[in-house]
Amino acid sequence: MTGMERVPMGPPWSVDLIADLHAGVLPPEVAAQLRPRVEADADAREVLQALDATLEDLRSLPPVPMPDHVAARIDAALAAEARPGIAPVVSLNDARKRRNRRLGMGGAGVLVAAAAAFGIVLAVSPGAQQQPPANDAAPAPTTKPGAAPPLALKRDELGSAVGEVLRAQNYGPLETPDRLAGCLKGGGITSSGTPLGISPIDLEGKSAVMAILPAGLGKYRLVVLDPATCGPDKPEGVLEDTTVGQR
Amino acid sequence: MITLAKVPTVTAAASSDADLISAHAAGDPYAFSELVKRHRDRMWAVALRTLRDPEEAADALQEAFISAFRAASSFRAESQVTTWLHRIVVNACLDRMRRRQTRPTVPLPEAGPGEPVAPRDAMSDRETSLMVQQALMELPEEQRAPIVLVDVEGYSVAETAKMLGIAEGTVKSRCARGRAKLAKVLGHLRNRIADANVPADGVNVQEQRQWEGR
Repeated sequence: MTGMERVPMGPPWSVDLIADLHAGVLPPEVAAQLRPRVEADADAREVLQALDATLEDLRSLPPVPMPDHVAARIDAALAAEARPGIAPVVSLNDARKRRNRRLGMGGAGVLVAAAAAFGIVLAVSPGAQQQPPANDAAPAPTTKPGAAPPLALKRDELGSAVGEVLRAQNYGPLETPDRLAGCLKGGGITSSGTPLGISPIDLEGKSAVMAILPAGLGKYRLVVLDPATCGPDKPEGVLEDTTVGQR
Repeated sequence: MITLAKVPTVTAAASSDADLISAHAAGDPYAFSELVKRHRDRMWAVALRTLRDPEEAADALQEAFISAFRAASSFRAESQVTTWLHRIVVNACLDRMRRRQTRPTVPLPEAGPGEPVAPRDAMSDRETSLMVQQALMELPEEQRAPIVLVDVEGYSVAETAKMLGIAEGTVKSRCARGRAKLAKVLGHLRNRIADANVPADGVNVQEQRQWEGR
């Protein structure tokens, strides 16, 4: 405080000056002297009240939820960003172990967290919980595809592999996006662009490929294909087609 | 078939924002999505109200979230995660505003400055909200951003100053100017008072700038 600031003369005072006083722009010593004089003046008081009413209007604005299509677009962009080779990750297995220690989670918790992160909550059968978690058994994204056996899944456990497959872009025996598109077409499934994730799996002892396709906000379409039989005119090549989600 | 049920997510229940950002920086592929899910509605409101155009708001948010995803290692624990994330979102919006400054702005229909858009008493809450939103759009961008952050979203002046990269006094001053204009447009201020062209009360521009810098 310098004691040198002049207190503006009035009334009248400009609306801008009263707005400054109202917003706390003025030095405290100036404001302290000015406020009682402003409040004693009817016109100036009206301006203060108008500013209060304006603030009330602004504070009462309703929330604006993000539209579903924008949320889906951002989810997809972040999922793409999190894919191996782009995400700032050295070893997901190591990171996962650190995270599990921090959160105090066991192996089964990893499955739940993986599903939960995508808004998917799975009622996993007790038998499935006793199996080694897919996350821990799977290769880190930095390892070469094929360095570890494919995920072994039962038909009712597909959801547990979402987290793992979502991080992969391994076409396995299907080899190319064109071949995938052909197999999807055979099952009457239209999908443009790259799948969110794709990985070879072992479906109840049979070699297969699981692809995850976007299906709206927080939802994923899980398609399991038989690489030996699927094709544009072969619907029998689609072994499973189910949608999971939503938050 | 897969059985689904709705229960609270483990990650959401177990982790603070700071935990999530640390987990993300450590390589957890789900942590950042969870963080975004928590805050995306508020970020969307800021982007939409700042930029006015839904397409631009969506582009700015996507750009901001990807940028934050990549820059998580630069996050410092001394600041709030939401402040950090908001700063990235606000900067993405400001960048877009700067880029489009060369483009002509489309004047908003109805109600010129100083003219209430409708009699206040006759309006429903929804109409009032629309009117306030419309009035916000009339503000210059440099006033709209602090008003949105401080008055609509409830951030403190200090947080807003950090997000916008300006002095706290400047935030207050821009809010003051913006509120005065809104009070007029929203019909809270009688035209007789609002239009009174009172000289600057002996307060010179230099003094004003000194006050703003505080």
